[in-house]
Amino acid sequence: MRLRKPWVTVASVAVALIAAACGGSSSETNNPSSQTGTLTVWLMNGSAPQTVIDEVNADFKVKYPNVTVKVEIQQWGDIGTKLDTAFGGSTPPDVVELGNTLVAKYAAAGALEDITGKKTSFDNASTWLQSLTDSCTQNGKLYCVPYYAGSRAIIYRKDFFASAGVTPPDSLDSLLTAGQKLMAAHSSDPNFSALYFPGKYWYAALPFVWDFGGDIATQSGGKWQGSLNSSSAQQGLTTLSTLVSSLSRADKTGDEAKQDAAFAQGHVAMIIANGWEVGVILDPKAGNPALKDQLGAFPIPSHNAGQSAPVFLGGSDLGIAAKSKHVDLANAWVQMLTGNKHMAEMATVGGVIPNNTSMLNLGTGINTTFYNAAKNSKFVPNSQNWAGVENANVLPDMLVKIFTKQQSIPDATKAASDRITTILNGGG
Amino acid sequence: MDMAIAPPDLEPASTRPGLFRTRLLPYALVIPSVAVIGGILAFPLGMLIWLSLQHYGLRELIQHQGDWVGLGNYGAILVDPLFHQVIVRTLLFTFACVALTVVLSTLVALLLQRVSRVVRVIVMSSLVFVWATPVIVSVDIWQWMFDYEFGIINYLLTQLHVGNFIHHNWFDNPLQGWSVLVVVVVWGAIPFVTITVFAGLLQVPSDLVDAAQVDGAGPWQSFRYVTAPMLKPIFLIVICLSTIWDFGVFNQPYVLLNQRPSADYYTIAIYSYRESFGVTQYGLGASIAVLMVIVLVIVTLFYVRETLKVAEIQ
Repeated sequence: MRLRKPWVTVASVAVALIAAACGGSSSETNNPSSQTGTLTVWLMNGSAPQTVIDEVNADFKVKYPNVTVKVEIQQWGDIGTKLDTAFGGSTPPDVVELGNTLVAKYAAAGALEDITGKKTSFDNASTWLQSLTDSCTQNGKLYCVPYYAGSRAIIYRKDFFASAGVTPPDSLDSLLTAGQKLMAAHSSDPNFSALYFPGKYWYAALPFVWDFGGDIATQSGGKWQGSLNSSSAQQGLTTLSTLVSSLSRADKTGDEAKQDAAFAQGHVAMIIANGWEVGVILDPKAGNPALKDQLGAFPIPSHNAGQSAPVFLGGSDLGIAAKSKHVDLANAWVQMLTGNKHMAEMATVGGVIPNNTSMLNLGTGINTTFYNAAKNSKFVPNSQNWAGVENANVLPDMLVKIFTKQQSIPDATKAASDRITTILNGGG
Repeated sequence: MDMAIAPPDLEPASTRPGLFRTRLLPYALVIPSVAVIGGILAFPLGMLIWLSLQHYGLRELIQHQGDWVGLGNYGAILVDPLFHQVIVRTLLFTFACVALTVVLSTLVALLLQRVSRVVRVIVMSSLVFVWATPVIVSVDIWQWMFDYEFGIINYLLTQLHVGNFIHHNWFDNPLQGWSVLVVVVVWGAIPFVTITVFAGLLQVPSDLVDAAQVDGAGPWQSFRYVTAPMLKPIFLIVICLSTIWDFGVFNQPYVLLNQRPSADYYTIAIYSYRESFGVTQYGLGASIAVLMVIVLVIVTLFYVRETLKVAEIQ
């Protein structure tokens, strides 16, 4: 009889423990050290330096000693297909880094956890970069946490500028003039480009559209209307087309993947690039470290002298899968990565633009230009169907048609606008 | 009485195994292959058709539940002008590739008959090397050769004074781009067809050709009236297979154009992939794939019928 009671207790404790273990992060077990399970995290290639990931995981291990974190690095190339498949399955990764243009699609499809109620649990939530916060927001609800941003400026060769007698231009007109002088100074080099601009580089084409007051699409009454054929957008593209035809010998049907290598080879005076591309240019294997002191940067100038054009704010957000079995753990891990300590490392070690305006003073040297560019930035239409526009290559195709003169600017922009209208409003 | 009863007793005993042996045994023997074919061909095809009758986007994929739209996807695709362009383009491309492949391969096979043993071994092993190279690897190499900035083709053409090919973009003009694609696809297709036709040539009795020549037939005539008719079954099979392969071409344009081919470079397979995985309309993509199978069946029907006829005669 006496023996029986402890037995019952042991059994009930065991049942409770098993229940707790199965529940993983149930509210009964708030004690972090009793949490168990495996947290799967997908980060994109080149986002966080390995040292930062290791430190986040070490800090996480201190708080949750019995939780295993598996960080898997994904490639950008086929990520859309891979994410579709993962979210379609029953065990998607718990935490997913998403390009900021992709979030809307997955949020609308119900793939991401609504974290509106937890917003204040993240550091700097009140000063998150507006464009990134917008990319995470749908119908007033928050579906992801801003992670980091990237904005473009023009990287140039100081020595080429000096020998051609030009200074960083402060308007689009003077950009053309400076470029023409550079072309003249290097007329003996058949491979020289004053401004190397590959035909499909749509991220770099958008500032020209925006600078003249144009936009990709506008929304009214819940309906999207493509607007690249507006006269202001066409004006921007005409200016860009002139720059490309007189200053660029880059492949008019190619993309920007090779531009850093081309710049490092020494036949290029300017490229429109992200801040981190400086590292690629100076890379001892793929680039040319000798250019270290010859690199400078200036913002993409506006057609209004003295101002700069709005740039596309690229970047990534961190989402939590709605099907995740460890939502609270996932949340805790994202809190750590985007917390003050590690966000500052992302900026100083990783060289990316941090997710909040309070840290924008962390940019030093050449990075300052890129950090400042983020302050005057714009974003693609915030629609769940935007990813369809990207995947259907609408903008790159339009640019190629314009630069190769296969279509006139009015025709090419009209065709692109119509396609954008269809896709954004939910048609294939 | 015993005798009268005995036969009914014996009859079932002797006919039952006989019935099994003659009627059911063949079916039993065929079951494994039917199951395998059903599993790997009929089931996916059935799923594809089922998917093509639904609106199946990302939300549906996540919830594992599509919306039934009947033939709606087909209606949308059939009125899409891009689909018409893509079908016509894919058919023209297939025709060009198959014609070139068969003609060039036959010429190489005829050459192989005439050259010395050493040369034959060299040519044959080169062909096998081409055949053995994985498509992605070879297309990557072709891509470098036709590269805008660093390509050896541009360099060679310029050095040979064919014209100024510095910074010549082969994919600016779709007609030129497709010509490059035809070269790449035909190059990859020649080995199999050559080796098959060569094997066929070995079966043509040389005395028949000799007799034709004694009767005054020239090389073209003896090929046209003696060799070619004997090779007909082989040509039919080779044309049929090449049509199927070239019609479904995906890797070459996809890899050669950096995985982001513009609409000018869509083949039917790329178009289906784009709609499925690019625009996340799996139902629409599936209906394109079904239409692709239907067009292919129509195109190859003639060859399959001819092949069956030849098989029956033999």
